Amino acid sequence: MSLAADQRSARRLRWQAAAWLWLAFCGVVAVHQWTFWRAPRLGTDVMALLPQDEQAPEVGRATHQLADQLTRQVVVMIGAPDWAGARRAADAWQHAIDAAQAPLKSSPLAGADALRDAMAFYAPYRDRLLTPAQRDQLAHAPPQSLVQDALAALARPGGFALADWNADPLGLWPQWWAARAGDTRARPRDGQLALSDGGLEWIALLRETTGPAFALTGESPVADALAKAGAAALAAAPGVKVLAGGVPLHAEYAAARAHHEIDTIGWGSVAGVLLLAFLAFRSLWPRLLMALSLLVGMATALSATAWVFGEVNLLTMVFGASLVGCAEDYGLYYFANRQGTPDAPPLALMARLLPGLALALLTSVLGYVALGLPPFPGLRQMALFSVVGIAGTFATTVCWFPWIDRGAPLRGRFSDRIAASFARWPRFGATRAAWIAHGVFVLACGVAIAFLHVNDDLRQLQSSPTALVDAQREIGRLLGLPSPAQFFIVRGASADDVLRREEDLKSRLDARVAAGELAGYRALSDWVPSRARQASDAALTKRVEDGVIAGVDRVVGEAQQRAAFDAQPLTLARWLASPASTAARSLWIGAVPRRGDGTAFASVVMLRGVRDLAALPGIARSADGLPGVRWVDQVQSVSALLGRYRHMMGLLLAAGHAAVLLALAWRYGRRAWRAWAPTAVATLGTLALLALFGQPLQLFNVLALALLLGIGIDYGIFLLERGGADAGSAWLAVVLGAAGTWLSFGLLALSSTPALRSFGLTLLFGILIVWFTAPLYRPRTATVPKAS
Amino acid sequence: MTFLRAFALVALASFAVASPAAPDADFARLIHDRLKVSPVLKGEFEQTKTLKGFRNPLVSKGEFLVARGQGVWWHTQQPFESTLVVTKTRLFTRNADGSAGNLMDAQAEPGLQQVNELVFSLLSADLDVLADRFAIVAQPVGAAGWTLVLTPRDPNLAKFLVRATLAGERDVQTVRIDEARGDVTQIRFAHQVPSAALGADEAARFR
Repeated sequence: MSLAADQRSARRLRWQAAAWLWLAFCGVVAVHQWTFWRAPRLGTDVMALLPQDEQAPEVGRATHQLADQLTRQVVVMIGAPDWAGARRAADAWQHAIDAAQAPLKSSPLAGADALRDAMAFYAPYRDRLLTPAQRDQLAHAPPQSLVQDALAALARPGGFALADWNADPLGLWPQWWAARAGDTRARPRDGQLALSDGGLEWIALLRETTGPAFALTGESPVADALAKAGAAALAAAPGVKVLAGGVPLHAEYAAARAHHEIDTIGWGSVAGVLLLAFLAFRSLWPRLLMALSLLVGMATALSATAWVFGEVNLLTMVFGASLVGCAEDYGLYYFANRQGTPDAPPLALMARLLPGLALALLTSVLGYVALGLPPFPGLRQMALFSVVGIAGTFATTVCWFPWIDRGAPLRGRFSDRIAASFARWPRFGATRAAWIAHGVFVLACGVAIAFLHVNDDLRQLQSSPTALVDAQREIGRLLGLPSPAQFFIVRGASADDVLRREEDLKSRLDARVAAGELAGYRALSDWVPSRARQASDAALTKRVEDGVIAGVDRVVGEAQQRAAFDAQPLTLARWLASPASTAARSLWIGAVPRRGDGTAFASVVMLRGVRDLAALPGIARSADGLPGVRWVDQVQSVSALLGRYRHMMGLLLAAGHAAVLLALAWRYGRRAWRAWAPTAVATLGTLALLALFGQPLQLFNVLALALLLGIGIDYGIFLLERGGADAGSAWLAVVLGAAGTWLSFGLLALSSTPALRSFGLTLLFGILIVWFTAPLYRPRTATVPKAS
Repeated sequence: MTFLRAFALVALASFAVASPAAPDADFARLIHDRLKVSPVLKGEFEQTKTLKGFRNPLVSKGEFLVARGQGVWWHTQQPFESTLVVTKTRLFTRNADGSAGNLMDAQAEPGLQQVNELVFSLLSADLDVLADRFAIVAQPVGAAGWTLVLTPRDPNLAKFLVRATLAGERDVQTVRIDEARGDVTQIRFAHQVPSAALGADEAARFR
């Protein structure tokens, strides 16, 4: 007896040491968390999850540069049949939005002085700035017809010339400016941005949000103010059309909806989980401790990820946190057993449960570590986060719970009935019927899964309301805005190299414009042509205009000389340093590191008015064979990324199942399959159900299946581990765990955010199946090498 | 969307038009009493353009045709042949040989429509449209005559156009356009013949 007592006190000492050590460790984590949250380094860039070598640095820079312009901008367009009505509505709108004190400031229009200054900047280079159509015409038109054109222009009433006649006898200069202004269809009119379309006079009103990009309060101040102002505009001029768009509106909508869902789904599931815990344990204390263990696990995971990777991607955190969710069952398992054997001292009980718990931890870790094998930074972050998170929760449960559990939870009718129901649950014997049933099941699932379709398209994750998306599209069409999602990146060894390559690309794009696939493009070389282009255009205009001036002189009896222009070419550096570059400066990416050594330079060529999605591949092919030109389709690359992650994780999931089965075999030998089978059945069944409901397979389903692996195997282990008299307690842990997971994740199937919904739906099916099949595979007798 | 604002800047300010305002009552009555507007008006013109850099004014003569709601046909005969057609949506020239000399209008520019409307309404004295864009001062001249001085309301337009001056009696007789660069266009109309509708060959001129 004294030997046993010695052993017990030695165990007590070890456990005490472990508890204090863990507390000290948690102290360190807490300090780190405190500093982390003061300036959280949370990455939001999904593309950062791509393998490094797949994403050239200039693509990321270009994306950021383009996105920065958009994140704060709100565009409202007001359309009325007549200009007076549009103005009245716009004035009412502006009054209302200012009165609403929304976090929106107006973006003032550039004054007419800025235009005059820009023209003055460009004037010395007028002779080398031509549109493609002008270049073509000057090169091919017979000299006499050009003289005729110049004379016709002189005969026109009024002239509204931008330069002296001898500096621009053919009126090329206003056309060049018109082409530059053609990048948007809006024109200043009475201090507003205006355009006419479809019989309506439109006014574009630009505002910038001043508040944070994501309001976490669930309010939508911007949308509310816009709604009020829209109503005011309608009141001022009945029948006007009001369109509102901009990234802040989408972000605010998503945040407000997420908040609303947390309010309903979130609190609903919390209430359900609390109620279950209370019914089972007649106390909320166990539930609180489980929440504590999860909290510690999450904090540890966050600190570890931040420490290893420098920052934590938001996506990692969301999914990592979900995957850690399965670790909660450790605490549940402990308390259920504590309730089942109230007389056992807590430490002794924990010692007895430890092998099973450790195996549950090991299998989950194996499953999640598999995620981190491929060279995807995102998956590695996720793997590290979830593994550390589970381990942290495990350590908290094992080290602390025996000390702070406040005694065994009371038994109640609820927990007794659940525990007792286990014995009545059917069980698969090694009968022929069972084999046939399994064969039919696998076959049926196989057939259903064959009909499962895969869809990784990013656009299906679009969750903004249709009205907002439509308004956004209409605004883009009205203003002729370039798409921020598809563009070309042009690289070169020098700035001039970049401009020359842009010009090669543009000559191909002009053919696409002529074919109607594209309304136009925005390119730096439209504002600053390459040196070679400047030299050849200057030579062309000199030859032609000398002839035209001489021809006109002969007809009207004058003796004019062509004006002189700057002898030096316009350089990109000069242009960038001037305010004249304001309009197009964002197209210049600048110096980027070159593979190997040195630096290269890069720019963006943007597209306006792409006819439809079907035109994109043809436009993309314009880059084929052009050195340094690269097509970037953000929608497609993110979709492709999702697809690759889905594919990769699918394979890893299979590998995870294999690894888990091996680990189980190490402890349970030939009975290992019993712990694994429920999860395997649930995985197959879930896939089949998804196919049956016509749900597409995508990354978020696969992620949910990874979580299912972690959870389902735990249940298998619990039931296999605690045979005989304790089986009821293990079953109680499984029932409570499954019901809790079902409430917290399965309810996500009600979410209107597509990613969350497919995640939730998968778990809704999976958990349900694993819950009800796990007891079917229990052994006839209690297992197991009895632990110490 | 900085570029949007910036493009507002580079957008051709000359093409902008100004705020609407009801013509004041005196002006309305005066013009209503004196200017007779017919659906179609044709006649002859003599235009004198004084351009910076030119030693002599450019004098041209020809015939014109104004059809309300359709456009203006401006046929220069001396010192060279050239035809200008302005409609609501297009502005094109035709050379002596009949070929289209459309160098000025190769681009589909939304501002083009606005400049078209401006030229169109000046030549056809379309006062409803003009009153939207210009502050108008009207003065009676003698028993039957009048002068209208039009100043752009839009500061962007004022950067290019100082004023336009119309004078006449039953018809518009002279138009004078003063540009900010110092160029001046003076047009004198003569032998004006009103009619109720376009002939078939005349209608073809606007196509």
